[in-house]
Amino acid sequence: MANGREFVDGAAVQTAPVVIQGSWSQREAVQSFLWIAPAFLYLAFFIAYPFFMSMYLSVSNARVGSPEHHFVGLINYQRLFADPVFWQTVRNSFVFTFGSEAIRLIIGLPLAFALNRAFKGKRVVQGIILIPFVIPIALSSLAWKWMFDSLYSVINWMLMRAHLIEYPWQWLGEPGLAMWSVIIMNVWRGFPFSAVILLAALTAVPQEIIEAAKIDGAGPLRRFHYVVVPIIRPILFVGLLYSIVFSFTDFSSVWLLTQGGPYNTTHVFGTYAYNIGINAGDIGMGAAITLFIFPFLAAIVIVMLRFLRKE
Amino acid sequence: MSAGQSWRRIKRDYGPYLPLSPYLFVVLFPFYWMVITAFKRDNDLYNLTTAPFWFKEPPTLSHLKLLLYDTLFLKWLQNSMVIGVLVVFVTLALALPAAYALARMKFPGAQPLSTAMFLSYLIPPTLLFLPLSQLVRGLGFTDSIWALVLVYPSFTLPFCTWLLMGFVRTVPKEIEESAQIDGCTRFQAFRMIIIPVIIPGIITAGIFAFTLTYQEYIYALTFISASANKTISYGVTSDLIRGDVFYWGSLMSGALIGAIPVAVIYAFSLDHFIHGLTAGALK
Repeated sequence: MANGREFVDGAAVQTAPVVIQGSWSQREAVQSFLWIAPAFLYLAFFIAYPFFMSMYLSVSNARVGSPEHHFVGLINYQRLFADPVFWQTVRNSFVFTFGSEAIRLIIGLPLAFALNRAFKGKRVVQGIILIPFVIPIALSSLAWKWMFDSLYSVINWMLMRAHLIEYPWQWLGEPGLAMWSVIIMNVWRGFPFSAVILLAALTAVPQEIIEAAKIDGAGPLRRFHYVVVPIIRPILFVGLLYSIVFSFTDFSSVWLLTQGGPYNTTHVFGTYAYNIGINAGDIGMGAAITLFIFPFLAAIVIVMLRFLRKE
Repeated sequence: MSAGQSWRRIKRDYGPYLPLSPYLFVVLFPFYWMVITAFKRDNDLYNLTTAPFWFKEPPTLSHLKLLLYDTLFLKWLQNSMVIGVLVVFVTLALALPAAYALARMKFPGAQPLSTAMFLSYLIPPTLLFLPLSQLVRGLGFTDSIWALVLVYPSFTLPFCTWLLMGFVRTVPKEIEESAQIDGCTRFQAFRMIIIPVIIPGIITAGIFAFTLTYQEYIYALTFISASANKTISYGVTSDLIRGDVFYWGSLMSGALIGAIPVAVIYAFSLDHFIHGLTAGALK
């Protein structure tokens, strides 16, 4: 390393570096276009274009399997606003997202604290904890569907033997309870992510500051509130926003457990849009449903960018 | 006094594990239940008179046989692997130069383009699956795994570019400058200096591209209909449910075997994985 450095300095003296510097940066504007073009052309064609296409579809009468469609104005939106299931879907999406997120944080925080110290086998434990997040949700959701089975639920078996419930619960068949079941699985899948983010945040807190607060006589709660929280807040905040976006736009976990039922009580934007857009074949109306995700996403993104700029 | 001492010893030796045990139970129980279900005889499976946590009749391979011989399970596995590997290559081929240029080159629009890359990561498949289904049909990829190879980089590319940008930035500029003075072009410096140094980043990005692809469900569900073209996530969750009948034993064995490839990759790259997870979210 030291040698290379000397060589650079030596060469710089002899061969007028300005010219060479120029030879790379002169063509920079043109050249950089070649470097980024493939990626951005791809994104333009497979993200930006379909996004605008779905705006058009939402004001058209497009249907699955029929090549012809034309502009119909805001009819799809009018039908949606008059559709009670749509409003239920909006409500469900918020309950699902913020319910899952709150529980994830509540159970993820003690876990992050428990992992934030050295002990034997820490790596293995961390590895095991992350498994639900790694295994495809479509596959692990099958285990949950089976554990929530109407007749052979092992969860019911345990709860009944423990005399916590008197009769078998219909986890996926009862309105209200079905939403809890979907949230439970989503929490199971997502709390490892919350814990890893929290752990990364906690490791960023310098131990000396904690020690100093201890010496000043601050108890664990005060230390957490006045010392730890201000330091981990930025990481926590961004991690939380990511997590919210992924819950809010989730499709597979709800679809595989309940398909939005019973009586539409677990429909979220993704599942209702799939039901209308693909199963019922009404792509126009399906696109209108998915577009309601956008204002929410935009709000999150604005908050995120503003926050990142401030930090 | 000795009681207090031994309590302290217990606390010292097992203290860290106590709060972790309920988490480990919750995380692992569904997988334990899958294994038990996959090898239980049907009679045993549907008999809840005694504790269901162990075999009351000898274990059986019949569920596994049904999965392997009566469904296209191996074909789905193959499809998922092929798609995964192809998507990794496409993603890296597009992401590496873009990440390098966004991190290192000075050109008008570099900043807004970086932001655009970040934002496109937040546009979810839920928002795009309907128009994309029209788009791939328009391109002539109706019911084909090529539709998935084509579309999957739309969520791997933004994430991997973002990740790789972070890695490129960690390479000291001086090394590149010295190469420049030696007469290297940008591309030569990129190929011979940057790429070797950021190999860990490339591996991390590859792991994520593969895992995200392997986990994907909604595009496969929307674009594919023939059983032979299905991916593992879609095949297992559709073809073993016939009408109202759930083949639970086979469903569980399919889910378990299907999870093995990601589990293996994950076990060998835990550190890369955790790094990518936190870096992707926090940078």
